[in-house]
Amino acid sequence: MIELLGVTKRFGEETAVDAISLTVEKGELCALVGTSGCGKSTTLRMINRLIEHDGGEIHIDGQPIREFDGRLLRRRIGYAIQSTGLFPHWTVARNIGLVPRLLKWPKARVRARVEELMALLGLPVEQFADKYPEQLSGGQAQRVGVARALAADPDILLMDEPFGALDPITRETLQVELRELQARLHKTIVFVTHDMDEALALADRLAVMRAGRIVQQGTPLALLREPADDFVASLLGGDERGLKEAAITRVGERMLPLSPRLLPQARVHRDATLRQALSVMFREHADRLAVVDDEAMAVGELSLRRLVGAGRDE
Amino acid sequence: MSDRAPTAAVRLAAWRGPLVWLALLLALAFGMPTLEPVLRGIESDTRQVVYAQAGLPSLLANHLLVVGVASLLAVALGVGAAVLVTRPAGRDFLPLVAQFASMGQTFPPVAVLALAVPVLGFGTWPIIVALLLYGLLPIVRNTLAGLEGIDPGVQEAARGMGMGGAQRLWQVELPLAAPVILAGIRTSVTVNIATAALGATVGASNLGAPIISGIVNGNTAYVLQGAVLIGLLALTVDSAFARLTPARG
Repeated sequence: MIELLGVTKRFGEETAVDAISLTVEKGELCALVGTSGCGKSTTLRMINRLIEHDGGEIHIDGQPIREFDGRLLRRRIGYAIQSTGLFPHWTVARNIGLVPRLLKWPKARVRARVEELMALLGLPVEQFADKYPEQLSGGQAQRVGVARALAADPDILLMDEPFGALDPITRETLQVELRELQARLHKTIVFVTHDMDEALALADRLAVMRAGRIVQQGTPLALLREPADDFVASLLGGDERGLKEAAITRVGERMLPLSPRLLPQARVHRDATLRQALSVMFREHADRLAVVDDEAMAVGELSLRRLVGAGRDE
Repeated sequence: MSDRAPTAAVRLAAWRGPLVWLALLLALAFGMPTLEPVLRGIESDTRQVVYAQAGLPSLLANHLLVVGVASLLAVALGVGAAVLVTRPAGRDFLPLVAQFASMGQTFPPVAVLALAVPVLGFGTWPIIVALLLYGLLPIVRNTLAGLEGIDPGVQEAARGMGMGGAQRLWQVELPLAAPVILAGIRTSVTVNIATAALGATVGASNLGAPIISGIVNGNTAYVLQGAVLIGLLALTVDSAFARLTPARG
């Protein structure tokens, strides 16, 4: 668990982070969002003491981080950044094994852990272990970056726009992978991004920052439905907010059980988002869809009224 | 990275260039007397055509020693200074050292030598000091450029992973800056091999001696011997450095 209590950071005259308080529960993914220069990266880097906070307190599992040696603290906290920061003169395997080696793990254990992580992140060992970072694509390099961050099995993972430099398709793939990874590993993650769609897709909790302050925090749904002010509303997409909400709600949550009525031709998968369902309706000129499972078996139906949440009973 | 485990023969073949130059250099240094008829053709009306005040091999050895000592000191001081001013504690001195390094490059070595003699007297020491001062500058400049040129993301990651200052320096910064630092050392050493000849004007006995003596006595054969040997020595060392500096691209 990470707690920020009235944390402040000044750079000279300028207050970069202004008395913010935030609690990230164990196993939770909290996204810090906001426009550039709002202090979200500074906040992240104060948690592993790459930047020292001037005021307030930061606690990890109840202990103030000032009580730890900065280096030892950072070895306990995974860190992944947009530029990956992979060491260009080291192979993929050596890069991933960095923190375990700093922690003086025995060689065999480091090697086993590196292979485990490469498998976890879909990087076949025999294909990638001896490659150098310059031989990797952007997505592969970022996977190595995440593997390196996870190497010593830290409870906490800090990610600073890790997918910001990737093309949209790779970015989405990695977002899905991160979500699946998080479902298995239950790390406590603080994730900085300026991409609201990414934040909404990944976060259990959002903290919206502006000019060094947290203007609102809560679940993605809570923020979408009741933004605190116009700034949050516009950051969340203004009038497109409805579509954003549709994009994080699954068809399975809204569908009705199969009725004796004839099923429509147009169909959508149970795990698709409402946004995708709406798109199918638009494309097929249909106001009812059959909902199917992995085997393409119909498991329910979804009407437009039901999709927009207008009618509970039909 | 294709030649991960080169055989001894392959490794030796890569050094062919430097070895050829070295062989030529040694052959000429030891076998100059056998070339007397050729030299006679250049300088027919002089009694002596092969420089014999001191043996060429011993002049070569002296030359190497002076350049070697000066270069080792220059590397230690130059890399050390550049590393110091790029640490948090020494940051304040960075502009000073950087300026000194770029300014010093415009200073001709002859002037350094001229200034060193009144302080250190004649002989080997003034030339070592002059070479050290002159050779320092490309090393400092390149070490600074190499260290400052490291991707900030890499630095950030190294810190973020919990590496200490010394670990970052030895495992990340110096290896990444190495090609640029080596290029600076290469420039420094090669230039100093030529510059060391000036030492003969202040009484150092090295490969500059035949040149100075040849100029004073109007003996072109002497000048030629010194110049050719210095040139070959510079080529040998430079091509050896070229092998050490990995091609980047």
